[in-house]
Amino acid sequence: MKYGFFPGCTLESAAEELMISTKKVASALGIELIELEGWTCCGASHIQDVDDFLGVAVNARNIALGEKFDAPILTVCNTCTLMLRTAKDRLDHDENLKDKVNEGLQQANLEYRGTSEVTHLLWALIRDYGLENLRKKVKRPLTGLKVANFYGCHIVRPPKIMGFENHMNPQSMEMVAEVLGAESVEFDQRLACCGFHAVFPAEKEVMGMTRINCLSPKAAGADCLVTPCPLCQMQLDMYQPDAQKGCDENITMPILHLPQLIGLALGFEPEELAINRHIMDAIPTLKKTLTFA
Amino acid sequence: MRKITFTIKRFDGNKDWLQRYDLPYENGKTLLWALTKIREEQDPTLNFTSACRHAICGSCAIRVNGNSFLTCKTALDEILDTFKTDDLKCEPLGNFDVVRDLVIDWKPKLEKMKVVKPWIIPKESGSPTTGFKQSEQEFQKIASPTDCILCGICASECTQLAMNQEGYLEPFILNRAYRFAVDSRDGAPEEHIRPVLENDLWKCVHCMQCVSQCPKDINLSAEVAYLRQETMKMGETQNLGARHAYAFHDDVKNKGRLNEMTLPMKTEGVVKTAMKRVPFALRMISKGKINPLHMPKEVEGIAGVRKIYEYAKGVDQP
Repeated sequence: MKYGFFPGCTLESAAEELMISTKKVASALGIELIELEGWTCCGASHIQDVDDFLGVAVNARNIALGEKFDAPILTVCNTCTLMLRTAKDRLDHDENLKDKVNEGLQQANLEYRGTSEVTHLLWALIRDYGLENLRKKVKRPLTGLKVANFYGCHIVRPPKIMGFENHMNPQSMEMVAEVLGAESVEFDQRLACCGFHAVFPAEKEVMGMTRINCLSPKAAGADCLVTPCPLCQMQLDMYQPDAQKGCDENITMPILHLPQLIGLALGFEPEELAINRHIMDAIPTLKKTLTFA
Repeated sequence: MRKITFTIKRFDGNKDWLQRYDLPYENGKTLLWALTKIREEQDPTLNFTSACRHAICGSCAIRVNGNSFLTCKTALDEILDTFKTDDLKCEPLGNFDVVRDLVIDWKPKLEKMKVVKPWIIPKESGSPTTGFKQSEQEFQKIASPTDCILCGICASECTQLAMNQEGYLEPFILNRAYRFAVDSRDGAPEEHIRPVLENDLWKCVHCMQCVSQCPKDINLSAEVAYLRQETMKMGETQNLGARHAYAFHDDVKNKGRLNEMTLPMKTEGVVKTAMKRVPFALRMISKGKINPLHMPKEVEGIAGVRKIYEYAKGVDQP
């Protein structure tokens, strides 16, 4: 299995642990990730607020870089997936737009053809790799670990663009957790927004959301929250101490990236997956139910 | 026999409670059929609103299992299949005051809508006697936003509104501002757009709930992007939201990738960042999450990226 890998900016900076864990997991599963040469930021759901056409053109360029490999493009970030898929959807349904964009791409010696799908690791594991194949690779079943699956908005919404599963009741995260041996808890905020995209202009509201997003899985008895999106992870982990301020209740909730959870089940140690990098230390909680070297 | 259980949130004006009703399953029915059957056969005190039964009047929206639907348009089978359950929890729409049971109060919302002047402020080129000529292209701009039936589903699902009822505008109000701002007959788009800016436009969190649930497929998030672009054209580029968006726009042009170290400074300014973000930065550095010395290099092909930027400047955007 081969994919053109679009890491997204956070994997080179504040979520580098996701780069580390993704590569470890992909290698252990025999999934080849070839990083797209010269990829740029997807615009992170902001660029279209300045220039709509540019938002499409920049991602047409990113997809064109992937089309060179003649393989699907894989991301591990919900928002990158949405931005790339939105551009692809618009280009594939609007010849006029596609022509205009390609006129621009020509100046960079590139062409958008529309031949590569854009997928997310979570979807690829289910649709391409197969959950039974994943089950066979499990060396350390996560038995007894209660996980809260926090999807994040952009892996399910809007359904017209994402469309992998029903956006009102997705099950992919629960299916993966089950294969890894973990127990998924039911909690109110499972499909909530983390607020990351507006953390600067709407800081007060977003901190309030972070509080609720931590308290809800806690009340449901989760040991940790796991998310397929680095932006959700960053919002809920990095800003958790800020969200705790002014809240009488203890909101502490360890936040893991999906590949870290998978990596634990594949037998990696927490440090190999860079779980020690999180602001909210997840390792003591993991040690209560899992055995490490 | 298969039974569907409806647990309905009741409210009598003073207190609320949950009330359970069981209905024998019938295929090919709508949610509105179920509510009507309950009222006709089991409980005449149950209050809900509905009228057209054709997804035109917008009066029958409620929340079922945490998601908002037009009851007349939504097939019961679809709901049962989506949630994989025969237990349905029905509530009034979120982010509205409740009058009784599933009936919500529209009056404060319609009062609030007036702030964006949801009417045409005519250009001098037309008049009530001579009328206006509108091209097909001009009409198409308002065709989709005019589909709004004021059902309230977008407001019910809005994440920002749930946290900020006073400050933020309901997505259907943003849609109204958009609809009149892009109308070729309107001579004062700023009068529709400025109140949106002043009511926390940049606080939309991009959760995509409004777009995903709108029964008329109105692309509300694209409308938010348009409203934001227009405020910047009006010179409103120094607020946190606009500065944040420009930081991304400029970083892609400069290096191709985001510089997370400089992002807070570009958004909030150097002084505010220094005063506010130091504990945050130290926390991040101590865990190895950021390296203050890391500077993104220019990506391979950055010259091409910049050419695309130049090219985009000359493209006519609808």
